[in-house]
Amino acid sequence: MADEIRAEMVANVWKVVAAVGDNIEEGDTLVILESMKMEIPVVAESDGVLKQLAVNEGDVVQEGDLIAVIE
Amino acid sequence: MTITSATVEESTVDYRDPLVRLRTLFDQGTLRTLITQDDSGVLSARGEIDGTPAIAFATDATRMGGAMGIEGCKHVVDAIDIAVRERVPVIGLWHSGGARLAEGVVALDGVGQVFAAMVRASGRVPQISVVLGPAAGGAAYGPALTDIVIMAGAGRIFVTGPEVVRSVTGEQVDMERLGGPEPHGRRSGVVHITTKDDASAIDEARKLARLLGSQGRISPADVAEDRDLAATLPAEASRAYDVKPLVKALLDEPGVELHAKWAPNIVTTLGRFAGRTVGVIANNPLRLGGCLDASSAEKAARFVRMCDSLGVPLVVLVDVPGYLPGLGQEWDGVVRRGAKLLHAFAEAVVPRVTLVTRKAYGGAYIAMNSRSLGATAVYAWPSAEIAVMGASAAVNILHRKKLAASPADDREALRAKLIEEQMTEAGGVNRALEIGVVDDIIKPTETRKRLAETLADAPAARGAHGNIPL
Repeated sequence: MADEIRAEMVANVWKVVAAVGDNIEEGDTLVILESMKMEIPVVAESDGVLKQLAVNEGDVVQEGDLIAVIE
Repeated sequence: MTITSATVEESTVDYRDPLVRLRTLFDQGTLRTLITQDDSGVLSARGEIDGTPAIAFATDATRMGGAMGIEGCKHVVDAIDIAVRERVPVIGLWHSGGARLAEGVVALDGVGQVFAAMVRASGRVPQISVVLGPAAGGAAYGPALTDIVIMAGAGRIFVTGPEVVRSVTGEQVDMERLGGPEPHGRRSGVVHITTKDDASAIDEARKLARLLGSQGRISPADVAEDRDLAATLPAEASRAYDVKPLVKALLDEPGVELHAKWAPNIVTTLGRFAGRTVGVIANNPLRLGGCLDASSAEKAARFVRMCDSLGVPLVVLVDVPGYLPGLGQEWDGVVRRGAKLLHAFAEAVVPRVTLVTRKAYGGAYIAMNSRSLGATAVYAWPSAEIAVMGASAAVNILHRKKLAASPADDREALRAKLIEEQMTEAGGVNRALEIGVVDDIIKPTETRKRLAETLADAPAARGAHGNIPL
């Protein structure tokens, strides 16, 4: 089952940590966002393979924007 | 056909039988039914849970899908009243389609009496609901009126079922998506704990009955050993982190987190600390940067009021950058719902101690059990910062004109200098210590001991109010 990970709040994409095709475990950091003067890791909420990364470093994401898909 | 006796026994045990379900809740051999099992649709019993006396009732899903009539409702009311008289937890096991249609308004009157009994008991004894199957209509509001709602994998809560929804609004939806563990655990906040199966749901209810029914006494000597709580935080002050390992390191043993998936930017956990049940409230920087928002303020407010009414002391772990800004939040009632948290803390009389681990800014600083709201004590770790806002944001506002007037080449240097000045003047924790809104700076390694001593020294008290499901 595909698990979509979406942005919880407006943020800048500071670092992309994982790559498409990586095996992901629950709790792994996928990307690090910068918001509220903080670096906020976005972590996987399920195990699987990283199917899609919808953001690049430097992007601005709005609340609800797709960040990654884990399958 | 030949069948072995074991197969006969298994096939004759209906797991939906209320007696079977109540037996799994209580310690072996301690169950005593309060009534003779009848066709009322409800069975009630007393028993022990890890030695803690408790009362429980279960709807009878083997009869009319557990629908409740006036007789069954009276059994529930009696069970709740007995629990209040004996000051013990009361646990409801729900699997019911709601009021019995054939009884009409008589059944509705009965269900209403159940609601009234629950509200009478609210804040006087712990009320725990375990939803094992569909709990619809009136049976949905029964669990919702209690302190804690646990939902097993097959549990469903909704006011109107999929067919009515389809005929009225045209929405195509199944029972699981309408009112299963996912929507209620993550979206609506109706359910505090979701579990895979019935056995683990019952297990969570047992843990909570013991935590709330036998709260224990604080014994600071038990936490004398050093535990470096700061080891659970990242070295860089600007890096967000999951606060749950800190909550776990604080408690004697892993606690029971409530509303884990709903409003996850604040963590609310019941657990043992220095041998006593406490409620821990912690901002979680990993989610929404740890900001307070409308939902998390409401979640925390309800938790504070529940703990206060049941006499459970509070430990508040603060690392909060502020309230979440945005149109969505304002329209979602962040002012009205945020006010609930201010109200809940300000009225709470249980011992409640605050620890600022990293930062506490602005209105969110006030809301997180500050001195002004009546905290028993407020401590801070040496690196903590308490301010109206972060230094750089403050400089941009305070010195907007000065910055704009400076030559563009020098502007960044000036900004850096002003930020440094702002940090010394208004940042850190010294000013808060001077004016007495922070009582002491404590080391991470002595935190458990100091918190335990503070809670042990505070006079025990309990708020005289119900626990409205905020």
